[in-house]
Amino acid sequence: MNSGILEVSGLEKHFGGVYVTCNVNFSMQEGEQSAIIGPNGAGKSTFMNLLTGYHRPDAGKVVFAGRDITGMPPHRVVRCGISRAFQVSSIFGRMTVGDNVRAAVQAQMRVTFRLFASARRLGAEETERVLALCGLLAKRDLMAGELAQGDKKRLELAIALAGRPRLLFLDEPTAGMSIEEARSTMELVDRLNRELKLTVLFTEHDMGIVFNHARRLTLLHRGAIVVQGTPEEVRANATAQKVYLGEHHL
Amino acid sequence: MTANAKGAGPLARLYTAFGISGPVALLLLAAALGVPWLPGEFWTHVGTEVLILGLFAMSFNLLYGYMGQISFGHAAFFGVGAYATAMLFTVLKPADGQIGVVDFLLSLLVGPPVAALAALVVGFFCVRLTGIYFAILTLAFGELLFYIVFSWYSFTKGDDGIQGLLPPPFFQDSTNFYFFTLAIVVTAAALMWRITESPFGYALRTLRDNQRRAAFLGTNVRVHMLANFVIAGSFAGVAGALWGPFSRSVNPGLLGWGESGIAVFMTLIGGGGSFIGPMVGSVIYTLLQAVVKMYTVYWPLTIGTIILLIVLFAPGGVLGLIDQRIRGARSAERVGREEDEAAAAAAERQP
Repeated sequence: MNSGILEVSGLEKHFGGVYVTCNVNFSMQEGEQSAIIGPNGAGKSTFMNLLTGYHRPDAGKVVFAGRDITGMPPHRVVRCGISRAFQVSSIFGRMTVGDNVRAAVQAQMRVTFRLFASARRLGAEETERVLALCGLLAKRDLMAGELAQGDKKRLELAIALAGRPRLLFLDEPTAGMSIEEARSTMELVDRLNRELKLTVLFTEHDMGIVFNHARRLTLLHRGAIVVQGTPEEVRANATAQKVYLGEHHL
Repeated sequence: MTANAKGAGPLARLYTAFGISGPVALLLLAAALGVPWLPGEFWTHVGTEVLILGLFAMSFNLLYGYMGQISFGHAAFFGVGAYATAMLFTVLKPADGQIGVVDFLLSLLVGPPVAALAALVVGFFCVRLTGIYFAILTLAFGELLFYIVFSWYSFTKGDDGIQGLLPPPFFQDSTNFYFFTLAIVVTAAALMWRITESPFGYALRTLRDNQRRAAFLGTNVRVHMLANFVIAGSFAGVAGALWGPFSRSVNPGLLGWGESGIAVFMTLIGGGGSFIGPMVGSVIYTLLQAVVKMYTVYWPLTIGTIILLIVLFAPGGVLGLIDQRIRGARSAERVGREEDEAAAAAAERQP
């Protein structure tokens, strides 16, 4: 097997005596779109936090595009080409929608130390592209903090897309959205994956979305991987049925 | 309100382009140019003080309004700038005579970099923290620097302060010194505006709103905070450098937390949410102080009451309040126009 864009081996993390990630081995191929599923408290968000440098793993290794990123702080992980969107929308509330995206673009362009350049001019095209991509052009002058919940989540995604990442982590991208918003958001994610070859890993509680939009699933339970495989394989797995999928009556 | 907005065409356009700071800055500048024509030297003197303290408060607002951190020790850099200038001034001044113009300008130039250096050292520790911990640590460092200046008699003359900072003859004239100060303050403010509207300025705003998220944009949070801390310290140093020749003396109190409080008060009064807010705060604070002190000794009581009212009823300061009104009026105007258009369209459809 050729080495993937993301290779995780023996990843461990404990808080006090509680193991929230136990010996996780995980890999992704470039262009893949996968999901991590599991019950609440299974360690899905912690896993993403470990991969993006928000938490330092206690053991194990994370290699992205051939580069060891284990224990790097978030801002350096991001510069390697990894981006993430948060479960609870995490935006810049006192800035306009347009300024949110532009600030993200400029951070990615690494021009934030240009003290005397005009912020309005730098990265304007990329900002425009991302706003259009996420359907936020008409709302660019609104204060981000005053947006409706669904729009906040879309802005969350837009910020994560600024600067063209190679690998995108989405933590429950459709939480709090209406059915219609959730559908269009996931269609956008599919399109990014298909057209821009963006590698996507997402967590999601809605099994309909998971089985429709992920080509490979990883089921986490109590910090450990229970089963990995195609949606069909996971669905057919007895343990998966027992610990998680049974709840969803599939 | 609508009529007002239309009547003040250029001001309304400035508002659209630069927000509330645009028209207010223009009005302030126009007023500032007229100050020396007021009768008596007193108002020119007060005007100079407004400008210097306003610059100091604006430099504080780089931390508060743009980076979302409150410093209770910002006067340390104002004071260090003032002392650096005062000490070089004293060295360059002939024992029995006036300081030369070049030497005077040289002593002014030394204030900001020395203040920046102090801010670099203090900031190195402070940017590791945020919120109340940041505030307390800046307070602690401010008091530490105050105490060093206060106690190191052989170097700083301790609580005697440094006297006799009489500028060259040309600058002794209060109108000349006023315009000199105005030129420096306007230049410094223009530089600060440039910085706050740069990618760096917007990176600071992301730190203010959401530090964790800012890190996930690829922003090195601490390095940006430290850079801003040094920039804010330098501009406080510019204000400090002007203070010595203005008041003819410096004393350790310039570094103390009372002086830091002035920047906080001015920013709260004028509004930390806008670029020019702290300068408006300085106008209100300094003028009020000058007037109130003519009639009563109860200045602290007066300013305390004002701060109380501002915090309770106008948490965005004076400019925040005005800005809110204008936005309200503008969106009401827009809604009204849309309703009119809708009504007109409906009327057209009628046979």
